[in-house]
Amino acid sequence: MAGGYTGKILRVNLTDGKFKIETLPEEWIKPYIGGDGFGAKLLFEELPAGIDPLGEQNKLIIATGPITGTMWPMSGRTVLISKAPLTGIWGESHVGGFLGAELKYAGYDLLVIEGKSEEPVYIDIHNSDLQLRDAKNKWGLTTDKVTTAIKKDKRDPDVQVAAIGPAGERKVRYASVMINHARAAGRTGMGAVLGSKNVKAIAIRGHGAVEVHDLEGFMKFAKEGHMRVRTNPIAQGMSKVGTWGLVAVKQEIGEFPTYNHQTGVFDGWEKLSGDYIRPRHTIGDRACFGCSLGCKKVNYIKDGPFAGTLEEGPEYEGLMAFGSLLGIDDFATTLKANQICNRYGMDIISAGSTIAFAIEAFVKGAITEKDTGGLKLEWGNREQLIKLLEMIGEREGFGELLAEGSKRAADSLGRGTDKFAMHVKGMEVSGQDGRTHRSIALGHATGARGADHLRSLVVVDQLGYEDVATKRWGADKLPEIIDPYTEKYKANAVFESENAYCIRDTLIVCWYTVSWPPIFWMDDFAKILPLTTGENYFSKVENLTEIAERQVTLKRLFNAREGITKKDDSLPDRFTKDPMPEGPGKGQVVDLEPMLRDYYTLRGWDLETGLPTENTLKRLSLEWTKAHS
Amino acid sequence: MSDIIDHEVVYLPSQLIVDFSKCTGCRICELACSAKHEGKFQPSLARLKIIRYDDLGLDIPNVCGPCETAPCVDICPVFAMRRDPITKMTYLDEDMCILCKSCVGACVNGVILLDTVKMRIIKCDHCGGDPECAKVCPTGAITYGPDTSLATVDRHGKILGYLKEIERTDKVHGTGAE
Ligand code: SF4
Ligand code: SF4
Repeated sequence: MAGGYTGKILRVNLTDGKFKIETLPEEWIKPYIGGDGFGAKLLFEELPAGIDPLGEQNKLIIATGPITGTMWPMSGRTVLISKAPLTGIWGESHVGGFLGAELKYAGYDLLVIEGKSEEPVYIDIHNSDLQLRDAKNKWGLTTDKVTTAIKKDKRDPDVQVAAIGPAGERKVRYASVMINHARAAGRTGMGAVLGSKNVKAIAIRGHGAVEVHDLEGFMKFAKEGHMRVRTNPIAQGMSKVGTWGLVAVKQEIGEFPTYNHQTGVFDGWEKLSGDYIRPRHTIGDRACFGCSLGCKKVNYIKDGPFAGTLEEGPEYEGLMAFGSLLGIDDFATTLKANQICNRYGMDIISAGSTIAFAIEAFVKGAITEKDTGGLKLEWGNREQLIKLLEMIGEREGFGELLAEGSKRAADSLGRGTDKFAMHVKGMEVSGQDGRTHRSIALGHATGARGADHLRSLVVVDQLGYEDVATKRWGADKLPEIIDPYTEKYKANAVFESENAYCIRDTLIVCWYTVSWPPIFWMDDFAKILPLTTGENYFSKVENLTEIAERQVTLKRLFNAREGITKKDDSLPDRFTKDPMPEGPGKGQVVDLEPMLRDYYTLRGWDLETGLPTENTLKRLSLEWTKAHS
Repeated sequence: MSDIIDHEVVYLPSQLIVDFSKCTGCRICELACSAKHEGKFQPSLARLKIIRYDDLGLDIPNVCGPCETAPCVDICPVFAMRRDPITKMTYLDEDMCILCKSCVGACVNGVILLDTVKMRIIKCDHCGGDPECAKVCPTGAITYGPDTSLATVDRHGKILGYLKEIERTDKVHGTGAE
């Protein structure tokens, strides 16, 4: 087996309670590398089209890559992959922390969870000791309590616990899986998949090793990599304020989603900015596995209605989803809301966005107190937000509807409420706005899992990094490619970034230092991958690009099998029809069609249907997919 | 802790100094240590240990020393665990070790390990005076060098300090607005 891999896949079938250890097929390595790539291959082959994401037939994969568990910067990422309950299409959720590394030390590259247990269980993996343990007494517990209880059961603080909370048990469509309290596999509803299978948690402990092909070369490059992170001024800033630093930037460029994306300017932004929060609330800095940046902040609220709240997070997205998006200019509220989401196990972006949907529909008179069970929804109401989140986690009253996500809620309410549902393919839009940042419009529209900010968000164009842009895309595409208000060349930027991020997600390493700040890119991957694996095929950027293209197209084929075509690569009307009302991007709207056509052309997808062409399947050696349609 | 009798109090020329308030719990030190001494990434065989309290948001590095009185040396029945006369670093003479594991239990930092695969005691040697962990630590939570006696004299007091810190945060944790 090539270096970096453990060479084993662990399967657990909950229906018959049996574990099975398989050899990782060597022939997967070259075309798929690992992580997301392995997950896409396995899910496509093994999942029949049209199955219910919350049914017994769905599978959940926890995947690692060859870099996971090594000393390369930010090597602690893991991905959870499944058919998504929120969208009914491709679902994946990447998460930091230590779970992936521990899985590898236990001896497995992938964990595949299949079938359905009759009774609540937790999956206990301790090296080769594999058990399904009774979790009846843990059902109903919040994620923090389960995690503590399992560590206590095992008498080992180093057990990594991935747990669902009450939201996952009740199959809230955007339920998350929480790793050791505060790292969230948030998006697309992976927690609901575990809940539907009666799996309360997965506990992993490993004492083994990850061995790389050329340790000396690896260590030299890894140490250089860490120094690049440690000396990068933006990374240094992130170690202080994490992603909160974005708030001031987004406000300045008029892209801080406010009042359910009605505008990009929020008057109360200052109280949500990093410089404001850190000196007042932050009591500790933390990092995920192997990370020299450490963007995680432990925060404490001393006074006010939420006094005593101690929790990691929220990220920028949390400040957006529970702050500006709802008109709330108070960090304490966002921290409390974040804590409730962590404990119940719910995605912050979808939760905030679904609540914003309801508030706007109410404020504009499309729904009334009859729909909300007597609640008078309004912008900026802090206590109401906390109450609504708890109602969603419990699926209680109006929370029952909101637990379905904004798309389903709008479908069932009707009355034109769909124009307030900010989603693509059923997944709520993250904290960006295509009107002031054209490339993210294309990214949101084409993302395999819906309105996604992690698979192709180009940051270099938005912040005008001429030098990086020239190096990546060539001087001939400037200045248009870094002009956030034009559609021109945006497909090139998205295509190339999405490819690099694909490789990032197969290694697997963190979004930060790859996507932002720009420290590592394809040429670095082309160096570290051969050192790790011994596979020289990975030393050429064009080969990595082909692997990435294969992966994007494979996910597209997965979605095509579920009925996705060009018509679904769309945006909420708000971004394409309502001009940005204020700020530097005043008057801007998105013209999606030309970007889509450019993007399809680059991807080799049909311009009319948006589906991969016969030639593309051939070029990317994806003809095998036809046998599984 | 006042009843601990100092069998042998020595001046330590250089030592690993830990500032837990800086530690982010990234475990790069464990990775680098296992890579250097075992040739692979295997934190379970690292000569130091980061304990992460995820519920409190606190990370505490446990390293070898500083021990002015070294329980591992005191307890070893066959004098396999000794102090280097010059560096004052405690070290294990593997040839003499009878694998009784007394030192594993005696270490106040919990960083002496039994490798159950190769059946040997694993113990930090400060990388011969050039500790890898201190070099890779991105936050300065582990440093190496001579320090004032204030920082080293009361090892046990320091651990008590850690425990108090946990208790303090615990109290904070317990008064959540739930
Ligand atoms: S000094 Fe060397 S051997 Fe000791 S813990 Fe640090 S890296 Fe490991
Ligand atoms: S490398 Fe430094 S910051 Fe990271 S876990 Fe070790 S002591 Fe803590």
